[in-house]
This record gives sequence, C-alpha cells and structure tokens, in this order.
Amino acid sequence: MSGTLPAALPSRRAGGAGPCGSVLWACSVVTSLLQVEHLSVEFGAPGAALQAVDDVSFSVSPGEVVGIVGESGSGKSVTALAVLGLIDAPGRVRAERLAFDGRELPSMSPRERRSLLGGDIAMIFQDPMTSLNPSYSVAFQLMETIALHEGGSRAARRARALELLRAVEIPDAERRLDAFPHQLSGGMSQRVMLAMAIACNPRLLIADEPTTALDVTIQAQMLALLLKLQRERGMALVLITHDLGVVAEVAERVIVMYAGQVVEQAPVPRIFELPSHPYTEALLAALPERNAGRRRLQSLGGVVPGAFDRPAGCLLSPRCPYAQERCRAERPALFELEASRARCFFPLPSHADVDRRP
Amino acid sequence: MNVATVSVLEAEALSKHYPVSAGFLKPLATVQALEAVSFSLAAGRTLAVVGESGCGKSTLARQVTMLETPTSGRLRLAGDDIADADAAKRKALRRTVQMVFQNPFASLNPRKKIGQALEEPLAINTTLAAADRADRARAMLARVGLRPEHYARYPHMFSGGQRQRVAIARALMLEPKVVVADEPVSALDVSIQAQVLNLLMDLQQETGVAYVFISHNLAVVELIADEVLVMYLGRVMERAPKTALFAAPRHPYTRALLASTPKVGAIRGEAALARAARTALSGELPSPLAPPSGCVFRTRCPHAIPACAEAVPPLVPVGTGHEAACIRLDQI
Repeated sequence: MSGTLPAALPSRRAGGAGPCGSVLWACSVVTSLLQVEHLSVEFGAPGAALQAVDDVSFSVSPGEVVGIVGESGSGKSVTALAVLGLIDAPGRVRAERLAFDGRELPSMSPRERRSLLGGDIAMIFQDPMTSLNPSYSVAFQLMETIALHEGGSRAARRARALELLRAVEIPDAERRLDAFPHQLSGGMSQRVMLAMAIACNPRLLIADEPTTALDVTIQAQMLALLLKLQRERGMALVLITHDLGVVAEVAERVIVMYAGQVVEQAPVPRIFELPSHPYTEALLAALPERNAGRRRLQSLGGVVPGAFDRPAGCLLSPRCPYAQERCRAERPALFELEASRARCFFPLPSHADVDRRP
Repeated sequence: MNVATVSVLEAEALSKHYPVSAGFLKPLATVQALEAVSFSLAAGRTLAVVGESGCGKSTLARQVTMLETPTSGRLRLAGDDIADADAAKRKALRRTVQMVFQNPFASLNPRKKIGQALEEPLAINTTLAAADRADRARAMLARVGLRPEHYARYPHMFSGGQRQRVAIARALMLEPKVVVADEPVSALDVSIQAQVLNLLMDLQQETGVAYVFISHNLAVVELIADEVLVMYLGRVMERAPKTALFAAPRHPYTRALLASTPKVGAIRGEAALARAARTALSGELPSPLAPPSGCVFRTRCPHAIPACAEAVPPLVPVGTGHEAACIRLDQI
C-alpha cells in the first residue's frame, strides 16, 4: 500500500532541524504521508488581508483516519484546498513544508501535480449534486478519470467503472452506469463521487463534509462505507466536518480549528474525555446530547472573529471564560502537552489549579 | 392528551395531496405528501416533528401556518376550525401562527432595516401608531438578545445566529399562540446553535408560546421537545412523549433513526462498523409517487414480513400518549 522509501526521505530536507522538529505531531517524518508545516493562506489586499489559515501544522500517517473539526470560517476546507494546490490567485499560500510522501507539493511541475491529484491524493466534496457534471453519464465521468490515470481500452475502462460502482455498494450497478446525475439521489451521487475518488487507489483521501448534505440513515451508510474502504485499501483518510459526533465515531486523531488556527490536536477518545483547550471544551459543552436533563445549553458568548476584529492576543480570548491578561496581550503557540497539543497558555484541566498560573 | 391543558393547535387526520405531472399527455399523478396526521399541542409546549427529507415535515408546516389548504382532515387553531372560517376569520387566525424558517440568510429582506422587518407585521395587522410600533420593535430586540442600535441596521450586517434571532423576534411580534420553526438551528454552528436554542426555550417560558419544532437532529429534539412525532413518507410512524421515545422507541424506523445518529462518547472503530452493519437501514427513501403498499416503511424495514404489504398499519397505543404504527410491535 505505501510506497515510501524511508531512507530517502530525510535527505530531502535542507539541513537544519532534524526529522523530529518540535512542530511535528510526533517523530513521524519517516512514516508520515502528508506533512504540513506552518501553512498560511491569505485572501484580499496585502494590507487588510483575511487570514483564512494561520500557521497550521499537522501530519497524516499512512492508513490513519484524521478528523479536522471546526465551525464555519475556521479554515478547515481552505486548508484542504491549499494542500491540493487548489487556491487560486488572489489567494496567497505560504508554507514551510507541504509534502506528500516526501515530495514537496508547491515545487512540483503542473504535470507532476496533476498525476498526483486524483491518483495518489483524492478528494470528495460536500455537495454531491454540484460535484458531478450534469451533462455526462456516470460511466463517462468514471471512465474519464480512469483514462487519465490508468488508461486501458474502452471495454476495460467500462468494466473497471462497473467494479467501482459495486465497490461503493450501489444497488443495480449495471443500470446506474448509464444514468445521469439528475437521476440519482443525494446519497447515490455521493457514492459515485466516492467511486471516482477511489478509482486510482489513492493513498490519501480528503473528504470535505462528505455526509453533511445527507439524511441521517444515509449518512450512517456512507460513513460505514468510507471506513470499510479505508480499511480494505489502507488509505489515509482526512475527514473534514463540523459534526463532533461523526468525528468521535470515525477518527483516530482530531485536529480542532478555530478562526484559521489549529487550537488542539489529540487522539480520540481523549479529546472528548479530557479536552485541553477551552474552545474544545466549549464545543463539547454546547452539544445537546451533553446537556441531558439540563434545561439550558452551555454556550460561549460572542462570535468567531472576522477579518477586521482579530484580537491581538489569543483569538479565543474575547469569548474565553478563563482568559487572563496574558491571553489578551500575547498570541499563544501550539504547546506540546502530555498526550495532546493545545494553543493555550493555561491548558485545561489545570485551570482549576490557580497556583500554576504564572 | 392531557384534558386539563387547553390545546392551541389540533390536527385530525390531516392530509395533503399534490397533483404532479407524470409526463406529456399522461394523467396527473398524486403525491401523498401528508396522510392522516393527527396531533394536539397545548400552550407552552413543544411538539417536535422528526424525519428525513421527503417525510412531509415541511408540508405539515405549510398546512399549520395556513399557507396551503389541506386536502382533507381538520385543523383547529385555538378551538376554531379553519375549514369553517370565512376570509376575515382566517385573517385573524393567521396572526396566531407564525413561522421561523431554516435559512436566516434567505428569510430576511436584504433591503429592509431590521426595525422595518419587525414593524411590518404590526403595520399590517394592528392600528398602532408608528412611534408605538418602533417602541415594540425595540423592546423585542432586547428580548431576543440584540442591542437597540441594531434597529437601524440591514440584515447583511449580521451573522447567521443574529439573523436567526431577528427572525425569531419577527415571528413573536404579534404575540402568536403557535410558532412553527422549520429546522431553525440546522444552518448554524454548534456554539451558535446552543445560544439560539437557549433563546427559544427562554422565550417559551416567558410568553407561553407553543412550538411546532421541525428538525432532523434528534439530539436537539431530545433537548427541546415535550412530545415527538416521527414521520416517514408523509405518515406518522410513532408519536410519543419525549422521555418515552428516547428511552423506549417502539417503531423500527424510530430505532433506526436513533441508531444512525452519530454521538460523541459512543462506540467507535470496529464496534461502530459492526453496529452500522446491524442497525443501518439499507436502501433509500422510495419514490413518493409510488409508495409501497401497506406499511410505507416495509421496503427498508429489517423486520418486514409479507403481511406488512397488505394493509396500512394503524397507530396503536403502546403507553400513555405513546402510539406506533407497526403490526409487529409485540414481536420486535
């Protein structure tokens, strides 16, 4: 499944910090499939830019399921698009390292990048109804992907398309091959998108809110299918979602984003049991299922800062119940904790421990 | 229901059928969007309507808010039957039911200031002077947690959560007895959703308004509802008080819905996969133009037997205020 050549990897890095640089999740350069270090994405005029993604670092190992959670505007989709090189001008992408399988993505030629995207890296999007081309049949769109990456005769490509539709458990697959997107339901369209994404046996699948537009019973089918394919094929899966329940059931590790920054990274289920960042704690406390028997939901006051009201200190400080003077004056870094990382000067649960505050 | 409480909204075998084109030169087909739905709702209570897309939730909302006339059945608002009401009476009755829509970005007129949007229902339905209308609008802004200066702002200057507050304020301007909220928090982020749900619950305590709360999110329903109506393809599958429904769901569809909802702190990984294989519903919603004979749920039901295809199962009582439409309730 993984074609990594561990020995060849570190040498690609230009001297300096060893493979165990402090920004990494773990000492995982050798094994990580996707590596993102200090990624920033800006939109708008240089003077008054909107910082959509702000200094994001994470890595994904082969075969791992990582969840990226955040509310709207937290930068989770833009991070994924930046990784794939899909941010167009006037958007500006900066990163110290953006590597897939040890190869730097930004310095790749367009030709190399095209063969990588849709081949080794695939992505599925939120709205299946608008992701398929309404003018072409399912078979045509699937065969187009196969032709680009694998080639083969028409008959062979059609047979492969049929095999893919069966792999994503579409009932009556033979008949659906010649269906047009408008003849498919939302769940069925998302299965076709997934078939297209796994057509070339990707090693990394990025799924951006893959079940948000679907009904719950269809969502359950889709998540089970995603996990099954991920296991069978040993793909790494990056699942972007706003639904903490989905992440809790599917992911092995969670990255929580807020206003463009990673505020916490931790394994599941630790993040749900002992969140280190006040924002994660607040998100969990706001879930209706965590408030059984209570008459009011706990909620953070205020809203996510926009382009013009980004606070000087910690981005959560205006809304954070634990904020101190230092939080309002200084931007915290992503600190390494025992089993997680949190962008907070006073990570939980030590909040109760007043003596440890500087 | 409870005889001691006065019901402000009562539906009896409410049905709505839509004629749809089946193709050129073919006779019109009929979609049974709502079929024999009955419930009653008392002041200060919340009835949640749950189901997936195409189950008739929004059709129900359009009948209750008198935007459409039901094909058959009775609908009583504060004791008055809307079928018997003349035009003047209907106009008066319309004031008592207001609506909050799903998408706060589409439900506010971008060219009207918030103040104007709030005053419009008063201008149409009351004889209040302009100054009095403005006072009431300002008072309502404060009650939904907005500031007085928001009165002169336009909708584009607000976030989604704030707009939904404005939409709720507008619905409450005429002091309605019933507010129909169609997925009011599903377009909002988790932390904002909690603020809006708190607001809805506070306003209900203050004003005694009854809510028909339409949602697909069972976690939200469990928090806010008093009674729950589970619908599938236009029919009621189960009706129960909230606690009974979540503690002991009887209908296979309700059980499947509860099992399909992802939860934090639930089982995960292999166990989740195994559970999904066990409880997930196979297939998708059948076409509402050609619903299955007998029980409409039987094509996806894990417990279906040949007898399910023969007759539409009636709603049978299974507990206090709890009924379910399934012929195999004793066996499953």
